[in-house]
Amino acid sequence: MNPSLDQRESPWPHRLAVALVCATFPMIWIGGLVTTYGAGMAVPDWPNTYGYNLFLYPWQTWVYGPFKLFIEHGHRLFGTLVGMIAIAFLVSTWCCQRRANLRWLGAAALIGVVAQGALGGLRVLADEVQIAKIHGIVGPVFFAFTVALASITSRRWQSAKRSEERQLGAIERLGVITTLLVFLQLVLGAQLRHLSPEAPLGNFRLALFFHLAVAVALLAHVFMLAARVLYSHRQESWLARPAVGLLVMLLVQIGLGAGSWVTNYGFPVWLSRYDFAAAYVPVADGAVQAWTTTAHVALGSLILATSLMLTLRSMRLSSPLSARFAPSKPATSPSQRILSMGAGL
Amino acid sequence: MRTILSGCVRFTPCLALVLLVGCGQSDPPQFTLDMVAIAEKQIPANQQQKVANILEAMFGTPDDPFVLPETGLDLAKLQMAAGPVKSDQFGHETGLYRRHCAHCHGTTGDGLGPTAMILNPYPRDYRQGKFKFKSTERPAKPTDYDLETVLRQGVQGTAMPSFALLPDAQIDALVEYVKYLSMRGQTEIGLTDAMADLSEGEELPLTHDTLVAEILAPVAESWQEAPDKIIPTDGDNAKPDMPKAESIAAGEKLFYSAKANCAKCHGWSALGDGQTNDYDDWSKAIHEAEESLASDVNTLNEAEMSAEEREALARHVALLSSALATDALPPRHAIPRNLRQGVYRGGRAPYDIYRRIYAGINGAPMPAVGPPFPGAPGTLTSDEIWNLVDYVLSLPYEPISQPPRDQRAVSRAQL
Ligand code: HEC
Repeated sequence: MNPSLDQRESPWPHRLAVALVCATFPMIWIGGLVTTYGAGMAVPDWPNTYGYNLFLYPWQTWVYGPFKLFIEHGHRLFGTLVGMIAIAFLVSTWCCQRRANLRWLGAAALIGVVAQGALGGLRVLADEVQIAKIHGIVGPVFFAFTVALASITSRRWQSAKRSEERQLGAIERLGVITTLLVFLQLVLGAQLRHLSPEAPLGNFRLALFFHLAVAVALLAHVFMLAARVLYSHRQESWLARPAVGLLVMLLVQIGLGAGSWVTNYGFPVWLSRYDFAAAYVPVADGAVQAWTTTAHVALGSLILATSLMLTLRSMRLSSPLSARFAPSKPATSPSQRILSMGAGL
Repeated sequence: MRTILSGCVRFTPCLALVLLVGCGQSDPPQFTLDMVAIAEKQIPANQQQKVANILEAMFGTPDDPFVLPETGLDLAKLQMAAGPVKSDQFGHETGLYRRHCAHCHGTTGDGLGPTAMILNPYPRDYRQGKFKFKSTERPAKPTDYDLETVLRQGVQGTAMPSFALLPDAQIDALVEYVKYLSMRGQTEIGLTDAMADLSEGEELPLTHDTLVAEILAPVAESWQEAPDKIIPTDGDNAKPDMPKAESIAAGEKLFYSAKANCAKCHGWSALGDGQTNDYDDWSKAIHEAEESLASDVNTLNEAEMSAEEREALARHVALLSSALATDALPPRHAIPRNLRQGVYRGGRAPYDIYRRIYAGINGAPMPAVGPPFPGAPGTLTSDEIWNLVDYVLSLPYEPISQPPRDQRAVSRAQL
């Protein structure tokens, strides 16, 4: 019934999608470090580096030069690697497999890399914190997208058996809400991280309040999601693993969030009765501060990606959606077509 | 051809993004005036503009600082600290203040950065030229070394981090920039005071004599003479030769006595739980503005007055309440230090504590018990202050279960 079940399908799209994931995750870290160390303007021009073509910039100056230059130029170089893998992935979807939707997703991946690169460039050319914010939000979204690609191109995805399981609908719904919440959380986090000193008093407090409120909401949702998956699909490691992983990551993430606060702003005053809190001094640009904060950013991306992947997998398994958007039946409305990319591939 | 091409490369995504975000590049940051003070002093809009123009002529802008020779400030250092965050291939960094400080202390150094509201204690507002942790007499400015120490060590138990990992040149630049913002702030106060003192129809003369000699120069001088105001800890102020235990016992007596009155604020158990409803000078100013606003609103509602007076008062109330809403932090009580934790924000060395007790903490309720100026009689003698130093430094190790003196002094007759 599904052409993608063809066993002779080339392994290359999946391999390249996995390569894309593996290359994009370090990009999130490097980009996070660029923001943490305030290195966004360590190279003033773009797409060139100090007048040199990106690839021809003397490597000695890059490697042995200032740290900020090292991470910013490195971020750009690494970005081109992600771009090249995206090109290879696109080619593989056009040459090595027959699912039309996947071809469009391949094109979307390349467009995504190019757009993100352009955003990064604009952030430099305009030296504009608002663009930095958008660049910082698009990054994790793109990363989640690459993880979805790796999942969709996997053999397990293609051989998945749909079931009439009623629980799946609930998992799917929870998954969608959780993914949206994680995205919202990322947007809020970007507000806390890319501060404009001109922002009105109270904005930061508002963003922080919502960041904490969404964290609580997320904890509840991820808990319910994991409970549901374990209740009905304990044997289905394809769902159970990401569900448990999500819960574990979220708990670690909450710890990293608190750690980021403390290493940047110290302990809250209600803890000052304890000597360790009263005596604590954050160290600006210290390794503890930089890595805690950057890890919080990177784990956020990983949580977004896992939540999206779990949601897509549950969609894949649940029959009603896939029946509605079966590839044989041409999708009519654009929104259905988009949904069918996830569910009907 | 190449330039056209690269122009296109640059421009096309710019355009796309401007459409996407709906706005272009945000304006360069500007110094702002203290709107609460302006509303209180009832400075009209045209004079506000004049103050802003004079200040810009004297001090430049956040991206392009400028200083008159009278300030004694080093423009090269200021340029390193000012402007947008940038660094080059040789590791030379600029925009240090915006990267490290502005999000709490604000572009203007008004302590009104975006994070300020949720930090406790609030970040310092430099504009009054008052600094807490320093080696000089109470009203004097801190020395460069004092500011540098705060930057390097941070302030324990607050959001003020240690910048010890920054290169020396960057710390120097930031110290210079803090002084610059502080001088600018105090000059603003001088200008608005002068404006408020003008009689009807009178104009502030835009001359060197009025603006620089009368307003800026005294501010700059107070900074330049800071090193002469360091409280000595030798000579007459040297630590007396006294057995430690004896000195601690004397200090303990003083601490709870009416003479030194430390326990009034720091509490009978020295846990910082004495008087906890006072304000520091920054919160006090806002608290007083709020009270005057409340009384103005009362007058507006109840008192009889002409339509003209009523309109003027209503305008004043509107301006002050909007300034308090957007340009001020809600007042908070100054909490005396818990002296049993061994946390000394102004330094833990005995001579640091000596200077802290001698001069109190400028801007905070903590009073000075040393002489108001060298040679004058103080509340306590130098030796007594040293006794207090010994007692304060012994407090973290003294068992807290020990009932404090005063409560133990129950006379038989009371039973
Ligand atoms: C009017 C209230 C008041 C009185 C009286 C008072 N203090 Fe304080 N003290 C404070 C406050 C408030 C602080 C914290 C100030 C701050 O950090 O803003 C403080 C802080 C301190 C500190 C910590 C300084 C640092 O570096 O962190 C010491 C030590 C201290 N006081 C000792 C004393 C001694 C000794 C006396 C008696 C001579 C005394 N205080 C009297 C209010 C008071």
